[in-house]
Amino acid sequence: MTDQSPTAKLRMMKLIRAFEEALAARPDHGFQLISSGEEAVAVGLCSSLRPQDQLLTGGRSIGPAIARGVDPSRLMAELLGRSSGTNKGKGGRGHISDPASGFFGAHAVVGGNITIAAGVALALQMSGKEAVAVILFGDGAFGAGALHETLNIAASMKLPLLFVCNNNQLSVSTPRSMALAPARLSDIGIAFGIPSETVDGMDLDAVSAAISGALEHVRAKKGPAFVECISYRFASHSTTARETRSREQLTEIRARCPIVKQSGKLREAGALDDASEQELDRLVAGAVEAALKFADASPMPREEEALQDVI
Amino acid sequence: MSSKPAVAMKKMFFREAIALAVREEMRANPDILILGQDVGPFGGSYREFDGLFEEFGAQRVRDMPVAEAAMVGVGVGAAAAGLRPIVSITYMDFMMLGFDPLINYGAKLRYKTGGQLTAPVVVKTTAGAKGQGVAHSQCIEAWLMSVPGLRVVAAATPADAYGLMKTALRSDGPVVYVDHKRLFPVAGEVPVGGDAVPFGSAKICRPGSDLTITTHSFMVRTALEAAKLLEKDGVSAEVIDLRSLAPLDMKTIVESVGRTGRLLTLEEGQITTGVGAEVVTRVIEHLGPVQFTRVGALPAPISSNRILEAACLPDANRVAAAARLLQSPKKLVSSY
Repeated sequence: MTDQSPTAKLRMMKLIRAFEEALAARPDHGFQLISSGEEAVAVGLCSSLRPQDQLLTGGRSIGPAIARGVDPSRLMAELLGRSSGTNKGKGGRGHISDPASGFFGAHAVVGGNITIAAGVALALQMSGKEAVAVILFGDGAFGAGALHETLNIAASMKLPLLFVCNNNQLSVSTPRSMALAPARLSDIGIAFGIPSETVDGMDLDAVSAAISGALEHVRAKKGPAFVECISYRFASHSTTARETRSREQLTEIRARCPIVKQSGKLREAGALDDASEQELDRLVAGAVEAALKFADASPMPREEEALQDVI
Repeated sequence: MSSKPAVAMKKMFFREAIALAVREEMRANPDILILGQDVGPFGGSYREFDGLFEEFGAQRVRDMPVAEAAMVGVGVGAAAAGLRPIVSITYMDFMMLGFDPLINYGAKLRYKTGGQLTAPVVVKTTAGAKGQGVAHSQCIEAWLMSVPGLRVVAAATPADAYGLMKTALRSDGPVVYVDHKRLFPVAGEVPVGGDAVPFGSAKICRPGSDLTITTHSFMVRTALEAAKLLEKDGVSAEVIDLRSLAPLDMKTIVESVGRTGRLLTLEEGQITTGVGAEVVTRVIEHLGPVQFTRVGALPAPISSNRILEAACLPDANRVAAAARLLQSPKKLVSSY
């Protein structure tokens, strides 16, 4: 994010929400993992990154990709399978990749991108560049062996790698309390001597502050850091998965909306009023409309492209 | 580019040929690094990285924890981000732990990113039985041949160990380089400074006219022994060292079977969905029905018990017996 102002961050969160809602409303949306409710994690994280840094994520990648600066139009085209998408329409929702924007890529095997991120961090370290790699993963990936192996390697090699666990507390339908033993997920860093912190993932400023602090450590070449952001997923696991929570639970969860919270803070500080918020909403709606228009105008891949870029 | 260096034939062990190829490529390309267990001062479990730590230091020759999944993942990720790692997996059995980053990420990276990223990583691993039991003996290269985006090679001689490693380290995508425990003590002439051995190029090691034996890695030696036994019976066997399993050099194989009319495939791994099964199928697709038989390990785990290990592995006598059967009956045969 080039514009780091609080208003720009709010606009970015609104863009993610509107983009995902517009995508999910399409009859041809296919299999998508929506991140509504988790916008503060994406924006709080990405607003602290520099252009030369690289972000890798799990499959719930739309919000982080937008926050990292991936062009919403090419992103929408990719998600709808168009050949003008970031990955020529071949990657799809779980594999968005745009390294030129600092979004090295999503990878939809749960935990699968964690070891890869350490490799990217190693390459950055050996290049001597002042850049870091960031791996964003969910609580579902927390239980995977890849995390343990990578924490150990990253700590012993002092890799410039930031671990961010977006703990939305649900792995498809399994509550985190049923699947993961530690009371605080960030405690896993302690055994490896990795500075670790748990923050409220629904609070943009709290996420930004924690990520900035952790990045300071990583950029000082002191090795990896770990931040756990506790968040809530507003929608079911995917556009095709059943919702397992009750209406009452969902109402209570959605009342924690990070966008409403940020908007309230800005209004309190006098930095936002009805007119300026409407203007933000208008800009966001325009960007989403443009993205849909771009995607709709783009062709689907030709069948022969199935054999291109294989080897 | 400097002018091409002169080629000098030099006799060396298989393991020395690997080390030499890696050394030469590391000198030429600073992006190459080695990740593995005991690859540093120890020089590799079979001393196939001897002297590299001393020359290139701890930054480029890195001892890693016993964590194959992360080791392959770090190698693949570093490759995607611009380096050219060799990841050494001591035994091929342990590659299973690294299949996710290699197969789900590395092999698909070019495709899934629409050509934006590739992972030029070489996973070097050691196959074959040598008294170490059910989880240290397997030859699972056939599993990997079916993965789009992956190249799989297996040398049988020091010259090819050298030449194939050079090609692997210049490839633009992931390569699985399979060597073999029982080949490390083998010596042979190596064309030092010679051309790299291209992938997809099989080699006729022994010309013959009555049947074609296709094989790779250590089993090339077994096939050549069997060919000698068969010669005494007046049967002339042509032996083809596949060298590259993905891609396969079908032109050389089909041309040979077209001449001999019979095909025996030989591998140390399992014949069920094995390398031979693929070779036979593709030959028949090209030539129509031919007489064939497949020889491989018995369908059982490979024990560290020497009697049981030997009972499982194909040897020259078993290959020769299968070849003799192939000479007479009209029916298609398959034997373990």
